[in-house]
Amino acid sequence: MNSIPKPPNLAEIGFYIFVKGLPRTLILTVLGLLGGFVIGLSLAIMRVYGGKELNWLASGYEKLFRGIPILVLIFLFAIYLTNLYEICIGDTCFGIEPQYRPLFGVFLALALRSGAYQSQIFRGALLSVNPGQEEAARALGMSRFQALRTILLPQALRLAVPSWSNEYAVVIKDSSFALTVGIVEMTNAALQISSNFVELWAVSIGVVAIIYFLLTYPITRLFGERQTKKLKELGMGGG
Amino acid sequence: MGKSVLRIVDVWKSYGELEVLKGVSFELMEQEVKVIFGPSGSGKSTLLRCINMLDPPDQGEVYLSEQNLMEPGINLNIMRANIGMVFQHFNLFAHLRAINNVSIGLRRVKGVSKEEARSKALKALNQVKMAEWADHYPAQLSGGQQQRIGIARALVMEPDVILFDEPTSALDPELIGEVLQIMLELAKTGTTMIVVTHEMGFARAVASEMLFLGNGVIVERGTPQHFFVSPKSDRVKTFLKQLDILYGSHKGLLKLSKEEEDK
Amino acid sequence: MMFQALPQEIQDLLTVLEYWDEILEGFIMMIWLYVWALVIGFFLGLFLAILRQYGGAIISRIATGYIEIVRGTPLLAQILLLYFLPYSLNIPIERWAFYTNFRISDREMTFILLNPEILVGILALSLNSAAYQAEYLRGAITSVGTEQLVAAQSLGMSRRAGIVHIVLPQALRRVIPAWSNEAAYLPKYTIVVWYIGVPELFGKAHYLVFKEFIPEATFIIIAIIFLVLISTVSKVLDVIHKRTAIPGL
Repeated sequence: MNSIPKPPNLAEIGFYIFVKGLPRTLILTVLGLLGGFVIGLSLAIMRVYGGKELNWLASGYEKLFRGIPILVLIFLFAIYLTNLYEICIGDTCFGIEPQYRPLFGVFLALALRSGAYQSQIFRGALLSVNPGQEEAARALGMSRFQALRTILLPQALRLAVPSWSNEYAVVIKDSSFALTVGIVEMTNAALQISSNFVELWAVSIGVVAIIYFLLTYPITRLFGERQTKKLKELGMGGG
Repeated sequence: MGKSVLRIVDVWKSYGELEVLKGVSFELMEQEVKVIFGPSGSGKSTLLRCINMLDPPDQGEVYLSEQNLMEPGINLNIMRANIGMVFQHFNLFAHLRAINNVSIGLRRVKGVSKEEARSKALKALNQVKMAEWADHYPAQLSGGQQQRIGIARALVMEPDVILFDEPTSALDPELIGEVLQIMLELAKTGTTMIVVTHEMGFARAVASEMLFLGNGVIVERGTPQHFFVSPKSDRVKTFLKQLDILYGSHKGLLKLSKEEEDK
Repeated sequence: MMFQALPQEIQDLLTVLEYWDEILEGFIMMIWLYVWALVIGFFLGLFLAILRQYGGAIISRIATGYIEIVRGTPLLAQILLLYFLPYSLNIPIERWAFYTNFRISDREMTFILLNPEILVGILALSLNSAAYQAEYLRGAITSVGTEQLVAAQSLGMSRRAGIVHIVLPQALRRVIPAWSNEAAYLPKYTIVVWYIGVPELFGKAHYLVFKEFIPEATFIIIAIIFLVLISTVSKVLDVIHKRTAIPGL
């Protein structure tokens, strides 16, 4: 009689986490980063090139979404505010299916938060492009917008790579909080596979920690400090 | 002439494949002023750091007052307190005021009391004519002022010898004079010094002996008169000529000479 | 805070604020965890940074390994790992607690100083914060440069004396901006102890929502508490930074 379940071994744990949890972790991370990118870049441009009011608004946004814990944001957007995800005009409603609302909510929370941090990253990058670059572009006759698009932004984006790789690491780690609202991402998967075996709880978490590490360290190492040195060599930044 | 302060015997030093010092030997007696000069990369700074064992030689011996510094088990920290060093980039302690920069060595290394250290430091600052800036931070002072404090910091330890590593090379031209002035006075009052520099005016005035270091060996050595009247090797002649054009009377050709020098 | 303040919303806020004693208990717990984690994290981080910068090849690598692993894994995973460890090692956990009761106006409040979960929480938060603080400190130490240490040694100071009296004082001043960042935002991370059953602010929020069914007002108040705390700490550290400025550092 096979009524006693067999405890999973390390390979099975790893496999389960990978197959069951990784997809949602990646979806949340990628979407969260992209959303944050759009928000962050817009805010950064607003802060550097907008007027005083835009700067103040953007700055307020930054302070707000940097100061609220990600868990609070997740709960707000994935559980309590989900009624907002549907717009009804008369009898016809369209919006997000109820089953996807938690996922969308977590994405929203991650994106809004990441936007606040990416705003700082891009603002710093824009400000550290050599000021002579804009001068030269304007001297050629480019408008402010042209200069921004063709000269400054490309450089700023390159300068932002080290910090941005760090932000990637932050978002993928924060995605672990999605388990609170029932989403089966990697950490949740780790807890699921060993849920019947108390002695294995720590082991599963250990495995998922290793997987997180493998997803973050190579990238931050590759795009981090080394990039900064390379960029300095190329003469970028330091403005 | 007095007793031996420093004896460098057949010192060799390499960094990886690159041989920087290839058998350098000389002796420094009390009250002597030796000037070491030569093209960049010839190992002059390395030599100084070998002397105070900050970067010990691979081969050879260094004797401070006949005490072998290469001996295992020797307390180098105490020995270093007897060798003063003045750096090209001053290397003042940025978080300390001038007076504390000068007194910290006495307090921490020689265990002198706070009050005594302070009064000795003030005396040293007086000697370099920086006493009124005692409470300033390095960042608030010009390069020449900072270097003078650096000299005071070395002086106050009452070392057997003071090593100067291109003390004026990082200074703006108008600030060089004040530092050289102090160094001249030190030399005249009998301080034992080794100075790595290309300030030939200084060398001419106070050097007991000059050593031309090229490619890790002493190419030529002699009194200032020897060098400025009849140097032997061609390398020395070319080098002195370049220096003369740069620092000497050919002021109008200064730009051109700089290019020639840089070649 | 963007909507018009209708009477109903104000009523909601006031209802939640009725539970100020619960909120206060949660707030104190957050501060308690925050301060411990920050302080332990600082000393441990300083130790790691020194090991990393001045330790030999092996020690330096170990310190770096610790820092990279902690920074490369989620805080949630770290605290769960520490919490589950006794179970895996078959160590039975006894229930114990140190707590104190106090009364303000007509409310009795209990504050638990230490119990197994709080201990794990402080441990996890400290070990985590130490890794980040170590990075900032290492950056600050590197930015002081090596020349002053060489000068200190040339005076006869041992390498250790040079590090302690010349490099560290400057590094500690230079690290203040980055450190203020960590110090200001650390309260946010204390929330993670909720997962292991520590009664902090977030847990209290859930309790309040359970009781009164006003999630919006509740979480807005919680959010405001965090925002105010973080802004205040930021400002205070900013002032301290300006007051202790040394020209040229």
